[in-house]
Amino acid sequence: MTVMQAIDRLYNERGVRARELRADGHKIIGYFCCFVPDEILAAFDLVPYRIQGSQSEPIDEADALLEPMACPFARSCFNLALKDRYDFLDGFVAPHSCDTIERMYHIWHSNKPTSFDHLINVPHMLGPSSDAFFRNELKYFISRLEDFTGKKLDESKLRDAIRLYNRRRALLREVYDLRRENPPRVSGTEITKLLVAGMGIPAAEHIGLVSAFIDEVKKRPRPAADGLPRIFLWGNEIDDIAFVSLVEECGAHVVMDDLCTGSRFFWQDVSETGDPLEALARRYLCTHCPRSLKPQAGNRREDLENRFGYIREFADGWKAAGAIFYIVRYCDTCELEGPDLKEYLTDLKLPVLMIEDDYSTSTIGQLRTRIQAFLEMIM
Amino acid sequence: MEQAQQAKTTAVKGTDTAREVRALVKNIYRSAHEAKANGQKVAYMMVASQYDEILRAMDVVPLPTENYAGLCAAKRDMDRFLLKAEADGYSQVLCSYARIGLGFDSLRKDLGHIPEGSPDGGMPVPDMMLGSSAVCDPRFKWYQAASRYLEVPTYGIDVVAPPPQDDLNAVRDYYIQYQRDQLKGLIGFLEAQTGKKMDPDRLWEAIRLGDKAWQLWYDIDRLRVAIPCPMPSQDHFSIMVAGHYYSGTQIAVDFYQKLYDEVKYKVDHKIGVIPDEKHRILYGGGLPPWHTLWIFNYFESFGAVFVIENVYRGYDPVEVPSHVKDPVDFLAWRAFLRFTRYHEKARARSGNPIVEKLLDMIADYKIDGVVFHACRSCRATTIGQTHMKSELGKYSDLPMMQLVSDMVDLRDYSEAQWKAQIGAFIEALEARGK
Ligand code: SF4
Ligand code: SF4
Repeated sequence: MTVMQAIDRLYNERGVRARELRADGHKIIGYFCCFVPDEILAAFDLVPYRIQGSQSEPIDEADALLEPMACPFARSCFNLALKDRYDFLDGFVAPHSCDTIERMYHIWHSNKPTSFDHLINVPHMLGPSSDAFFRNELKYFISRLEDFTGKKLDESKLRDAIRLYNRRRALLREVYDLRRENPPRVSGTEITKLLVAGMGIPAAEHIGLVSAFIDEVKKRPRPAADGLPRIFLWGNEIDDIAFVSLVEECGAHVVMDDLCTGSRFFWQDVSETGDPLEALARRYLCTHCPRSLKPQAGNRREDLENRFGYIREFADGWKAAGAIFYIVRYCDTCELEGPDLKEYLTDLKLPVLMIEDDYSTSTIGQLRTRIQAFLEMIM
Repeated sequence: MEQAQQAKTTAVKGTDTAREVRALVKNIYRSAHEAKANGQKVAYMMVASQYDEILRAMDVVPLPTENYAGLCAAKRDMDRFLLKAEADGYSQVLCSYARIGLGFDSLRKDLGHIPEGSPDGGMPVPDMMLGSSAVCDPRFKWYQAASRYLEVPTYGIDVVAPPPQDDLNAVRDYYIQYQRDQLKGLIGFLEAQTGKKMDPDRLWEAIRLGDKAWQLWYDIDRLRVAIPCPMPSQDHFSIMVAGHYYSGTQIAVDFYQKLYDEVKYKVDHKIGVIPDEKHRILYGGGLPPWHTLWIFNYFESFGAVFVIENVYRGYDPVEVPSHVKDPVDFLAWRAFLRFTRYHEKARARSGNPIVEKLLDMIADYKIDGVVFHACRSCRATTIGQTHMKSELGKYSDLPMMQLVSDMVDLRDYSEAQWKAQIGAFIEALEARGK
């Protein structure tokens, strides 16, 4: 199997590897979003599985239990659970990312309990007391895992896991570095597949896949200059290639992102020195997500810079000619963040197209004209 | 038929004290304008953030932006603000309280003054904005977004509650510690803004007043178990103004004392809201439809009275341990105890604290049916209603109904549909009564 075939298989048959591992006696723990440290699960020899929805499958069964004004990504995940598509999970962990996830956790817990259900409270505010609180929440999470697995946490295994995941992070950044080329030898569509494929397999396996992928890309011939615009994507959950492919089909290169399913989940490392729990707490709380509130810094301009400076670096470093926001409808914090980020990027002379969508491939085609018009405008 | 019911509606009698709330509401906005004129600090604030007494103790005048949104809706003057926010790029599905607030701020900025004819004189430009993560996400994020229109210092605090499955003995200390740290951070911020140190004695005094008012409020609600119902939910949605926007003041204490006396009198003399009370309804949750509050009277025209509700409540009184000697510690402890009040019960049965609370209400208030209101733009109070209905159904066979609209946005409301649904619900109640 070529590396691309291996990636395709994992991407298309979600959960396939987790099922195999489970058949071999491993325990699989599902979780949402970017706030549950994989390292802790891995240190207990559990397999972390990042739960995804399905953009191509209509939400039917969840309607009877979860209101239609909840974020469709979360609804879709729950819908799949109701249809037993997550029957390979031995446990299920929800971080308190947002109102929807927190409320859905309780509904999921009542309707599809597993042998290990847990909610981690994640501070919305950032600062030293938030770090301390989150560290305690992680400690409590660990104590629950100790009860579940019947073994004590081995700190050296936690340190090993941190190093392993940092290795994966470094490799993923290397993949992203390949996108700096113009035109890039790797498409946004491929990257989405590579990332999503990695969400349901142990880090060590993903590392193998990512390394092979890098080697494969490096062997590709450099494409001739095509003058197509380079796009930066911002938003929340894009765990399907449909949208990215659409943008690329319309004549653009998706070269960089700030998405829950993209750079957001892996960009920063966990410090390998000092107290590992403190390092994990700090790293995971710093995840750039609109659901966290950075303390106000200076006047409006300075505050926007403080909040979004990293995005400027992304846009500059990857030479983006425009930004497209893909906001899953009903995500209040993204809906409130979008206009601020748009103001910031517009001031930097980076054109922005803000899209709010239903997390469904059936409606994605309707966006084609808007995307084409936007790309024409920035050409 | 319709005519006759409408006529009967006029016989509905709420409390007289509730009528005084209109003046209390006006006074919120008037005081804010006066405070600005006197150089006193005014703060945009969010209800139920556990910091009310701190603001009072520091002479910061609270300006509740959510209440203002509800007020605009009750006056049916919300569209210009909603549309302005939407024109500024905010999604039509974003919390409509936030949309009204942002739209108002945006218009006021564009015009350079308060928009003409704004309800109750409008909101002045605040000196600061104080968000919180209590209840929902928009409540801390909204003020960050509002800084687009208002360059004033903005601060947010976390308000945390453990999930019901947690072992409270394992998490209590660090939850309280964090709450204390968050409140202390806020105090530091307010000290910098006001140039004054927080006086612990004044904070104790505000806490004493806050607790006194809420105890009275709780006692009033306990009186409402009486048959016939002495005070309907419509009144609750007014009288909560004292508890939520005057918390920590003598005004709230006096108000609830007066209301208590009146409700007590009604109970003693068996004076009900309507003469022929046939069905006792629990308002199970969701923000009230501020745009269409008369719908409660419509229920009453069929003999159905809303006797108790599970939204905008005061928390049940809690006992903070006597070893707590610091007022900020007290607030942190109190918050924790409030939020975990039904956890033990939940663990013993349904797993869900709200379900337990509703089941208690159903039993205590002799409820015949439950109505929920799903608000399209409020995830926090809406998600879980369907689930709660099905959980309640495991322990009770009462008719239940979910009306759908929004707390303020009329575009999500259909009168014909509601009336049809209500008709079917009343039939179910009647069938059950037979
Ligand atoms: S997309 Fe937004 S609303 Fe949906 S789960 Fe993520 S943070 Fe929550
Ligand atoms: S989402 Fe609901 S609870 Fe939150 S601010 Fe809006 S109305 Fe209030």
